[in-house]
Amino acid sequence: MFDLESQIRKWRTHVQSTGSLGAQDVEELESHLRDSIDELTGRGVSVEEAFIVSIHRMGDAEALHDEFAKVSTENVWRQLLVPAADEDARRRHRSEITVVLLLALLGGLLGKIPALFGHPVLEENALIYARNAALFAFPPVAVYLIWRRALSLRFAAVAAVTFAVFALAVNVYPSYPPHHTEVLGVLHVPIALLLLLLALYAGPGWRKSSLRLDFVRFAGEVFIYSVLIGLGWVVLNLVAGAMFQLAGVDVTPLILNWLAVFGGCGVAVVAAYLVEKKKGAIETIAPVLARIFTPLFAVLLLGLIITMALTGRAPSADRELLIMFDIVLALVLGLVLYTMSARDAERSADWWDGVVLTLVVLALVADAIALSGIVGRLAAYGFSPNKAAALGENILLMVNLTLLAVGYCRFLTGRSRYQTVIDWQMRYLPTHAIWAAFVALAFPPLFGFA
Amino acid sequence: MDIQKDLVAASATPIVLSLLRQGDSYGYAIIRKVREVSRDRITWTDGMLYPVLHRLEAAGFVRSTWKTADTGRRRKYYRITRQGEAELTRLKEQWDVVHSALQRLAKPGRTGAEDV
Repeated sequence: MFDLESQIRKWRTHVQSTGSLGAQDVEELESHLRDSIDELTGRGVSVEEAFIVSIHRMGDAEALHDEFAKVSTENVWRQLLVPAADEDARRRHRSEITVVLLLALLGGLLGKIPALFGHPVLEENALIYARNAALFAFPPVAVYLIWRRALSLRFAAVAAVTFAVFALAVNVYPSYPPHHTEVLGVLHVPIALLLLLLALYAGPGWRKSSLRLDFVRFAGEVFIYSVLIGLGWVVLNLVAGAMFQLAGVDVTPLILNWLAVFGGCGVAVVAAYLVEKKKGAIETIAPVLARIFTPLFAVLLLGLIITMALTGRAPSADRELLIMFDIVLALVLGLVLYTMSARDAERSADWWDGVVLTLVVLALVADAIALSGIVGRLAAYGFSPNKAAALGENILLMVNLTLLAVGYCRFLTGRSRYQTVIDWQMRYLPTHAIWAAFVALAFPPLFGFA
Repeated sequence: MDIQKDLVAASATPIVLSLLRQGDSYGYAIIRKVREVSRDRITWTDGMLYPVLHRLEAAGFVRSTWKTADTGRRRKYYRITRQGEAELTRLKEQWDVVHSALQRLAKPGRTGAEDV
């Protein structure tokens, strides 16, 4: 059965991927394409034929790209700030920028709350800021998504309650040396809160795997944008600091307490806005990044596994190594998710899916080593919050990686569609966040806040 | 009859501007109209019209607005500006010069000089 809508969607992606066409250009071309198809079908041509003829008349995407590139001398970043075509869109655009800037400011103000309680940005207060980081940076993103999606009051209420619960738990729980449960909270609160953002991003359709996958892409791109903007911000602050130093004024307190706080807390919502607004700009970068790092991580994992086999050094003997292992595994999972979101679900299997499967299998082996290490440490030293958290995570990862490995094998051997792999993974996704919430909220009381 | 590529490119601007002087229009209608008046002898690659339109807009010869048709489909309409009209007059004069020169040369035994 010929599905016109999905064909048009593919054509649009293809045209967009050449890079020089803005969203408006593509919309204009699409409108043209639809007119052409309508006219042909009106004359009794079948939809499929009409589509093919219309595409053919439209011309080669490469040539189009070249022609459009000559017109638009601005680069993609500038297109963001070029006013939209019609008055209505322009007004919406302006109000959106205002909202985003206000929200970024809100993030910064949230970031000033510790200072209000007498904890300025100093080294001894690092943990206070670290455990609250997600609670400063995420609420503006949440408000932005609620506003942009015009979500119902129920979503807003759930978001408010969730943030309040985490804020209370993180800050009211006592913390005794060696502060292990507190550090675990620092690591797990952001993961748990991502589930909330997923719900706000997808809105009422949050159960749909396609929307969850869109959120994965969104989160990955927000992360990339945040890092890029953050780096720029750091450079700016360093330069400013050095300049004023030369002028004989020490602005370090100003930078630390104001610029760093406002920049750090506001960057996420600005990045979220950029990703929402200009989907096309980075969509072409994401698959490239995934392609570069997938084989590199496979080599890294292989190297780790071989090194451990040769040196015979059990990971149970080494806590740091175990933690590094977990971080690498989490990154691998993120990378596979990202690859998944960048992949066209309709495309048939190729060698690249083999590369991804290799990475997944290597990660499984590494996870098995890590698990055996944790069990070894558990047997030797008994339960501790760190080990319990690591155990839970590694088991969840093990299940997840097995799912992926089985899914990819079935897909590569032609026994199921790629969509099945996506559906499995997306259904499993919230499990990680729920475990993270459990670690963040329940571990401190369970382990006596140590 | 296939018209040479360079000629198609050179004639696109005056043709589009002439069409727009008859009334506001959008890309698909422009292409159809061109096909109609040339009795299917001038056929552009559809997509190529848009870079032309965007270039005309950048030069200030046309202005565009998005409008929503009754069917709910959004279309970008183009309108010729006063500057565009002036440009069209200028281009037409050029074409007339070329055209009449060719006409005269085409008639055997005459150089056309005696007409001037």
